[in-house]
Amino acid sequence: MADMTVAQPGREQSSTASPLLQLFRRNVQTYTIIIALILIWLVFTIATGGGYLSPQNISNLFRQMSVTSLMAAGMVLVIVTGGIDLSVGRLAGFVSVVVAYLQANTWYQIIPNQPALSAVLSVSVGLAVGAAWGIAQGYIVAYLRVPAFIVTLGSMFILQGLILLQTEGKTIPANQPVFSEIGQGYLQSELSWILAVVVIALMFLFMFRDRVNKQKYGFPLSPLWLDIVKNVFYAGLLVLYVYAVNLYQVAPGIPYPVLLLAIVAVIMTYISTNTRFGRHAYAIGGNREAARLSGINIRRNIFLIFVLMGFLSGLAGIVLASYVGYGTIGAGAGYELDVIASAILGGTSTLGGVGTIPGAMIGGLIMASLSTGLQMLNAPPATTYVVKGIVLVAAVLLDVYFKREGK
Amino acid sequence: MNDDTILEFQNVSKVFPGVKALSDVSFRIQRGTIHGLCGENGAGKSTLMKILSGVYPHGTYDGRIIYNGQELKLHGGAIRQAAEQGIAIVYQELTLIPNMTVGENVFLGREPVERGAINWDRLYSDTQLILKRYGLDLHPQDVVKDLGVGKMQMTEIAKALSEDAKVLILDEPTSALSEIEINKLMDILRTLKSLGMTCIYITHKMSEFFEITDTITVLRDGKVVTTQPTKDITPEKLVSYMVGREMKERFPKSNRRPGEVILEVKDLHAVRGEREVLKGVSFDLRRGEILGIAGLMGSGRTELVMTLFGEFARITRGSVLVEGREVRITDSHSAMEHGISLVPEDRKRHGLVLGQSILNNISLPNLDRFAGFMRINRNAEVKESLRMMKELAIKAPNLYVPAESLSGGNQQKVVIAKWLMSKPKILIMDDPTRGVDVGAKYEIYKLMNDLAENGIAIIMISSELEEVLGMSDRVLVMWQGKSNGLLPIQEATQESIMHRAAGLM
Repeated sequence: MADMTVAQPGREQSSTASPLLQLFRRNVQTYTIIIALILIWLVFTIATGGGYLSPQNISNLFRQMSVTSLMAAGMVLVIVTGGIDLSVGRLAGFVSVVVAYLQANTWYQIIPNQPALSAVLSVSVGLAVGAAWGIAQGYIVAYLRVPAFIVTLGSMFILQGLILLQTEGKTIPANQPVFSEIGQGYLQSELSWILAVVVIALMFLFMFRDRVNKQKYGFPLSPLWLDIVKNVFYAGLLVLYVYAVNLYQVAPGIPYPVLLLAIVAVIMTYISTNTRFGRHAYAIGGNREAARLSGINIRRNIFLIFVLMGFLSGLAGIVLASYVGYGTIGAGAGYELDVIASAILGGTSTLGGVGTIPGAMIGGLIMASLSTGLQMLNAPPATTYVVKGIVLVAAVLLDVYFKREGK
Repeated sequence: MNDDTILEFQNVSKVFPGVKALSDVSFRIQRGTIHGLCGENGAGKSTLMKILSGVYPHGTYDGRIIYNGQELKLHGGAIRQAAEQGIAIVYQELTLIPNMTVGENVFLGREPVERGAINWDRLYSDTQLILKRYGLDLHPQDVVKDLGVGKMQMTEIAKALSEDAKVLILDEPTSALSEIEINKLMDILRTLKSLGMTCIYITHKMSEFFEITDTITVLRDGKVVTTQPTKDITPEKLVSYMVGREMKERFPKSNRRPGEVILEVKDLHAVRGEREVLKGVSFDLRRGEILGIAGLMGSGRTELVMTLFGEFARITRGSVLVEGREVRITDSHSAMEHGISLVPEDRKRHGLVLGQSILNNISLPNLDRFAGFMRINRNAEVKESLRMMKELAIKAPNLYVPAESLSGGNQQKVVIAKWLMSKPKILIMDDPTRGVDVGAKYEIYKLMNDLAENGIAIIMISSELEEVLGMSDRVLVMWQGKSNGLLPIQEATQESIMHRAAGLM
């Protein structure tokens, strides 16, 4: 490989191609799964006679993806450093039953008739449990050097036991006021519109600030129209989404879990691309030895990533309990499959070093799209599993194929 | 030497999208000779060998290859065809499976099978036969990971030879070997030649061409410059063929004047696990000086610098003083805090995150400088990296291409850039020109001189004595984990260094 590139020293990147085309070439992988997503939507829309794109379904679709996608955001970093976390589904399940137990059996004895305070306490405990589990796993993986696969596999068994212990095999209700808002509530239509406007304004503000900064450093700018087209495109998607969910008459507005997921996704994207912590994670996954010799504290980085993963699993568990309205022995079972699949669909490499949060979010959306679509068609759950498996392997196959073609 | 041709390239051309990697390559290789193939990185050697070994099958290139009087037609998808026809290749990077024995590796992929089970007795006795025939000093049941690099190389050769090879291609076989191991390899090659084997020999070390080859073909920019009997070529001429211009000097001149002592190492002992790797090393280093470290493989050269960098062995005795103050360096991070940087020996394994961009590689150890409380200032990062790229003349389309797409010399420059950006006072360079072609070597030497002139103290390890002699102000010789002499360059000669390196002084 090295030979070919030097044989023609002066060669410039094909700058004659239009900027849009260049943009496309740089992100073939991302666009592949976006196209896959659009295809899936198209198929379901036709199969359901348009029902798939109804406001009700759009609203449900994004809310459905939120629990697993919250965890997928963390899973990307875990896999990027070359690790894996199999325990996330069961951890979220465990947190959901703990929180449900507190809601149903504890708070009303200590602080009766204070639903808001109860909810705040439940959330705090849920996050703490998740993070504590992450600390334990991270410590064993990073400092005691037991492979992540084994630690989290063992962890899965333990959590399964703890869930049984906590629930005693019963279903625990978690549908108390305030708490149930977390997973079931909506941001009112008007507020949703205001939020959309604020977000769009911020997008443009950041765009211009970035251009000004680049100019200060004397860097060439991408054409203004291209930046504007990009932003207008994303703004358009946002407007479409808000418009659609506001049309859903039963519960108009942006569901809180979706809002939460959006915030988490933005923060995680920022962390992974713009902080030392994030950049170090990619270097560790790309070449551990080179990272170590570059003065990076590998153990601390991996430890922190597991803590973050645990925290996000806790958050997902809280949303799960609130959304379904109870905690059961089956809570979170099999979610790890969706989480890992979302990350991988989104272009995260199991070899480490490669992966993006936005990609994983689209991956999560694909998984949720398949679930809701097949449900609408009244397909049995068995079909859903088979289809998800096929889509996962097919997507990676396509990617492998494109990469080979590119070379 | 008889005169028949075993292999002939006739107008071979190979085009990659946008690049002509080989154009009209024609030359002959005579049976029973060692044929040197020489050229800078990117000259087309590897492409040519890939065609010969079937990586690029028949039909993907133009021209013909005549092998044993017939046109060689290898088809895509069947990697073993070339081997079956008697063309075997030993790659630069070892392709052995560490947890398997020599015998298992030699017969990997074609283990002798009887009624569905592997016949181990036959596998090992066949291996023994091959080892004996070619005088390879190995035991078939040794586990590969316990062998030294030299013996791994032999295993690799045994593997190549086990299929009744007629042509053996050696692609930079000595890049990881010590002097003694190289000598052994040369003996093996002579044995092979006396048995009638034809070898194609690729290397970056000039001296080896003159030691072992009968004929040399020089490639430049995908074209054959010349094919001549080795005895008609001088080293100077060979270099000028390779770079396409006269190279008057291999080492650039410098008029630096070393200043005060910046690093002092006194009686350093260190252990790694149970093993004592350093058994008393003392030397000092001055500002603006290049200190060469010579020694055989296993003499503790790399161990010494890695320990100084805080990454390899635990110091049990002795002291390290930076600018007169005793320091305890516990890891690479604290080394950097004391102004010590290391350009590691194996840039692909230790120096670069190959899949990431030049930008990310350069800034990796330096992110602290661009990071505020929470945020990395991307623009500042790009600006600084661009400056380094220009300063070091890294040849690449832009900052965003992955490091793996660069040539060896440019990769090495990226590693150097990465460490220079951290503004070191002491720069340790472990074999900085390994696997780098002649032109790029010269640039790296010039860069080292510039750095030294600007007051940076450089420690350079090198396996090539000429390089040590050509670049250093003083030479530290290592022998069995000890320092065995610190010679001013005026007193250093090939002989005096080799004597000390072999423990004869």
